[in-house]
Amino acid sequence: MEKAKVGVFLADGGKGIAEFLDFKGLTAYCKQVSGVTQVSQATEFWRGEGLKKLVDAVKQKKIDRVVVAENLPKLAEVNIAKAVEQAGLNPYLVEVIDLRDHCAMPHRDVPKEAAEKAKVMLLAAIERAKLLEPIDKLEFPAIKSVLVIGGGIAGMQTAEDLADLGFKVQLVEKTPFLGGLAARAGRFFPTNDCAICIESPASDIKTITHTSRKCVYRSGFSEIPNLGILTNSRVVKVEGVPGNYKATIEKKPRYVDELKCTRCGLCTTVCPVEIPDEYNARLKTRKAIYMNIPDVYPPTYVIDETSCKFHKCEKCVEVCPTGAIELDQKTQHTTLNVGSIIAATGFQEYDPRVIKEYHYGEYPDVITNLELARMIDGFGPTNGTVSRPSNHEPAKRIVFIQCVGSRDRRWNPWCSSICCMISLKNAMLIKEADPSADVTICYIDIRTTGREHEYYYEKAREMGIKFVKGRPTEIAHDPDGNVLVVDVEDAILRKLLELEADLVVLATAMVPAEGTQELAKTLGVELGEDGFFKEYNAKLRPTETKLRGIFLCGGATFPKDAPTTSLQAHSAAMKAAKFLNTGKIVKDQRTAIVNEEYCGDCEFCPVTCPFNAISLVSKEKDHFVAQVSDLQCEGCGICVGTCPVNAIELRHMRPNQMAAQMKALMSINGTSKPLVLAICCSECGHTAVDSSGMAMMQYPANVRIMKVPCTGILRVQQFLEAFKAGAQAVMVVGCKSDGCHYEVGSPKTQKKVALAKILLKEFGIEPERLEMFNFVYIEGDKFAEAARTMTERVERLGSIQLATTSQGETN
Amino acid sequence: MTSYALFLGCTIPARQPHYEISARKSLTKLGIELVDLENMTCCAPPPLQSVDLETSLSIAAYNICLAEEADLNIITLCTGCFESLSIANALLKEKKELRKRVNETLSVVGKEFRGSKEVKHYLQVLRDDLGLGRLKDSITKDLSDLKAATFYGCHSLRPSSLLRFDDPEAPRIFDDLVETIGAKSIAYRHKLRCCGGLLRGYADDVALAIARDKIVNTTKAGADCIVTLCPFCFLTLDLGQVLMKSTFHEEYKMPVLHYSELLSLGLGIDPKELALEFHKISLEKVLTKIK
Amino acid sequence: MLHGKEDKHSNSFSKEVANQLGGETVNFCYQCGTCASSCPVAKVTERFNPREVLRQLLLGERREVLFGDAIWLCCSCYNCQERCPQKVEIADVFYALRNLAIKEGKMPNIYFEFSAGLTNEGRIVPISKFLEKKRTEIGLPPLKPAGVEAVRKILSATGFDKLSRKKEESS
Repeated sequence: MEKAKVGVFLADGGKGIAEFLDFKGLTAYCKQVSGVTQVSQATEFWRGEGLKKLVDAVKQKKIDRVVVAENLPKLAEVNIAKAVEQAGLNPYLVEVIDLRDHCAMPHRDVPKEAAEKAKVMLLAAIERAKLLEPIDKLEFPAIKSVLVIGGGIAGMQTAEDLADLGFKVQLVEKTPFLGGLAARAGRFFPTNDCAICIESPASDIKTITHTSRKCVYRSGFSEIPNLGILTNSRVVKVEGVPGNYKATIEKKPRYVDELKCTRCGLCTTVCPVEIPDEYNARLKTRKAIYMNIPDVYPPTYVIDETSCKFHKCEKCVEVCPTGAIELDQKTQHTTLNVGSIIAATGFQEYDPRVIKEYHYGEYPDVITNLELARMIDGFGPTNGTVSRPSNHEPAKRIVFIQCVGSRDRRWNPWCSSICCMISLKNAMLIKEADPSADVTICYIDIRTTGREHEYYYEKAREMGIKFVKGRPTEIAHDPDGNVLVVDVEDAILRKLLELEADLVVLATAMVPAEGTQELAKTLGVELGEDGFFKEYNAKLRPTETKLRGIFLCGGATFPKDAPTTSLQAHSAAMKAAKFLNTGKIVKDQRTAIVNEEYCGDCEFCPVTCPFNAISLVSKEKDHFVAQVSDLQCEGCGICVGTCPVNAIELRHMRPNQMAAQMKALMSINGTSKPLVLAICCSECGHTAVDSSGMAMMQYPANVRIMKVPCTGILRVQQFLEAFKAGAQAVMVVGCKSDGCHYEVGSPKTQKKVALAKILLKEFGIEPERLEMFNFVYIEGDKFAEAARTMTERVERLGSIQLATTSQGETN
Repeated sequence: MTSYALFLGCTIPARQPHYEISARKSLTKLGIELVDLENMTCCAPPPLQSVDLETSLSIAAYNICLAEEADLNIITLCTGCFESLSIANALLKEKKELRKRVNETLSVVGKEFRGSKEVKHYLQVLRDDLGLGRLKDSITKDLSDLKAATFYGCHSLRPSSLLRFDDPEAPRIFDDLVETIGAKSIAYRHKLRCCGGLLRGYADDVALAIARDKIVNTTKAGADCIVTLCPFCFLTLDLGQVLMKSTFHEEYKMPVLHYSELLSLGLGIDPKELALEFHKISLEKVLTKIK
Repeated sequence: MLHGKEDKHSNSFSKEVANQLGGETVNFCYQCGTCASSCPVAKVTERFNPREVLRQLLLGERREVLFGDAIWLCCSCYNCQERCPQKVEIADVFYALRNLAIKEGKMPNIYFEFSAGLTNEGRIVPISKFLEKKRTEIGLPPLKPAGVEAVRKILSATGFDKLSRKKEESS
């Protein structure tokens, strides 16, 4: 291999840094480092004239490695890498360091020490640059086709956006009809539009009117080009990689030919089977052949195979005028090849049967908000009348109970977010239809946080709906008069009430939709502790998952209202579109690589990898080795820190590169202060160092900084190596345990540090010399304090006596 | 033949020999051996837990240690004792720090809580060890005319996470056992509500008002008697009616008896042997309905 | 706020209770009132409302709570604890409060009697000679002696005996 030719470019920031650091001295120093063929100084190198000069050096082949000392290195890196690539050099042969915020600014009070530190920082960068290897950009296929799971409001909207953009979309819905929970809700707060109407996605295809506020059936949704709809279907298997998934869909038979059914309804008149209608909350019955409500998509009847008598009956077959009924239809399996998957599976109401003190399921007049919504819905089982299930008489006295199974540490500890608004909506609709109705809402808190929501609450009070601040303990039934009695304390009045009611409505908790756990396993997506899908980052990536090609939207990540669901649907579509847009995924190979000779098939790394990027492949009989998927690997290095035999390395953070940096950073120390090595993760740790410098907080210059992608890459022996290299103390600076950007790195490192402390003690080294710190970016002050503390600590402890001498002399 | 260490507590031997005699007679007749251990003490119920909770748990643990040493599970007649001993048993098994402290205390009397034994209420023993079938077969009298209002009390059911006696909202064990011996268990308002017994001595008026609610509701529901599981409940409802007469000038004459007494009658044991004179409210109505 | 005077509405009291056996869960309370409507005592008297006591506790009204009448009115039925949606161990909190009150010297007579019974006979209800005779008459076996010595040693080890004595001195 040719000897590397390193070019060093020192940006003095005009007066900014040049005032504190002697650039002439630094230039001279760099020139005498072996391998450096050019040293330049300018105000800045990441753009303008400076960048041109750098690029020229590359073009003229004077240099094949680039070290830049620049301010705002994270911005600079991107620009310089791009420019260098265009000039014909692999963009990953560039190393950028920050002499301003890591040296000049935090060490203004000690210019001599700062100068030394600047030298070792440059030396470390140069030594690392010499060992850098070119990294390829890989291309993977991105099939411009998307699988959307869930045919409710979120699924339909996101499918529509993508279809409009030209992607091939397959929408898969587990029930026989589209619409989801929203369609059953009746109306949407706070505007009280009818849910079915507003639910149909705002289509860019001109159907009837521009605003297209038409129900699914009449919106032309199904006729959107590129959009395929599969109902009565579930996703049963997903294989492949992001950009190229193979999803197997199981389509249950409808037993009715969609092309022949005219919805005449004759079949329902002869069907002998009558069962409680689940869709309408069992408030009425339906036949084995049915449609949920007149307005559905697909506009075709379906036979419920668990209750139909099939060939023992066949009455419907006889009577159907078009011969649409096919009792011998079979389950079908289809495999789709898609580039991306969006889970829009929504949520459902918690079954309050378990909360026995409310007697749901036992007393027929205790119902849930959804059941009430079905009654209020004109399409519903009672044609819009709110009546008592026990005797079908109109309900005049209605009591709502909020937080049933929500905010309850016995059942679901979370607040379900939308139930206050739902109860207010239903209460107001009842009062609107019957102003003489007596409506009371028993609550712990009323949460009306969205736009226009507070006016909703105001209007409810204006309409004469009563509010009792108290959570009822139980509902009793007085057979004498068939009245329900709600036992509640009005906490504000400090008075025990026994509210009489014809109907008690439970605002039950919202929990993940049925099938969420299985789907999560099928997709490989994690669920939160609450059972909902876990988004990658709630603030910045609310519709993405940890897995590149899989996205989320709607109630699948947590109960939410219609506006927010809509937003998320658009967001997920956009994310999927961005991901697949160019037809290929370009990803650099800054990933892990396995040395198959060493790999002992211990299975630690596949289990540890937070991105499921490592699998085991069979090499010979009974011998497996780990294999890294370059597409899925995020280059964190946690696998490297886990492997017990050093069989896996990160291409851009090899052990020899780290060792060279460590050695270089410890190589010069002319001051009396003992050297402290701070190994910082690139996410929180290193940025905390940045911010301490940016805010010009002062800490000793004997604290030398080394950056790693994640502290998880570190192995216990590397802490010991740091001491051998000349460190008198080692600080490991990472993200907070519950905020590690790679999920498991920081907590794992804490355990390694604890173990290393034990080993240090065995070697006669005080364990207090090694410490882990967990900061966030804005805790620069805490980093500076920690650096000062560690320095004071080792000054007190004195220097370590080691058997072997280290390269640099320490006092 | 199952054997248990019989835990009598304080109130039963001190005030309710009728409870003790009916329990001994009926359980022994059904093949359950009751072993009387030496040195048992008070179980340290709520009145003592109110003074110091940890001391009370230590005293309860002491009694459990006696049973552990005799290698016997404990059977209780009083649900108050059932609760104190059960929560001590459960908490000490669960919480390491607490167990350490209590064992330190117990070391002064040479004992160590191991958590090797169970605490049972006699209803559980009847249902699980004997079985409803064998129980039914042992009944010789006809109780089908008797409408019983079962009163679980509080401390058989709650705190349910530590006691695991039955479903605290919809319990069945007591009703099943009453119906197995032939009587009818009726529903009545506020069936699972407390009798107020533990307020006696501090706020007698409040305790009486709470007890009255139960007498009124069972009367309204048409019960022939109230069946209890706890001497405190019994006292509050039986003696309580005497006080209700003098305080509220209301007379209900609702007979109150323990399950073991009803069981004894059903097994054909002569009422004269059951010391029924200790009841304040006459059991005449009940006895006439048993054939 | 006056200098030198303890801030009445600090959280030091709720911390004190949370550190006491039985009181660990007190901070979870969000004042929903389920306990109040579950309480059989609150149903018959205005003197007691468990939600209110917890409110005072969390607000820091130490004197009112420990030296008031309310904490002695809980009948330990545990209905509140069963139903509490935040799993606050309310009945146990009342034990903790009573324990604290007694440590400060406030002990209602009846508890003094129970404690005395325990110390003297190992039982909170003493057994009269009349009863002992009756037992033999009706055919009950003689009572095995209670472990009074053991009880006394335990009470001494935990300091329980000093609690009772405090009341004796102040009465």
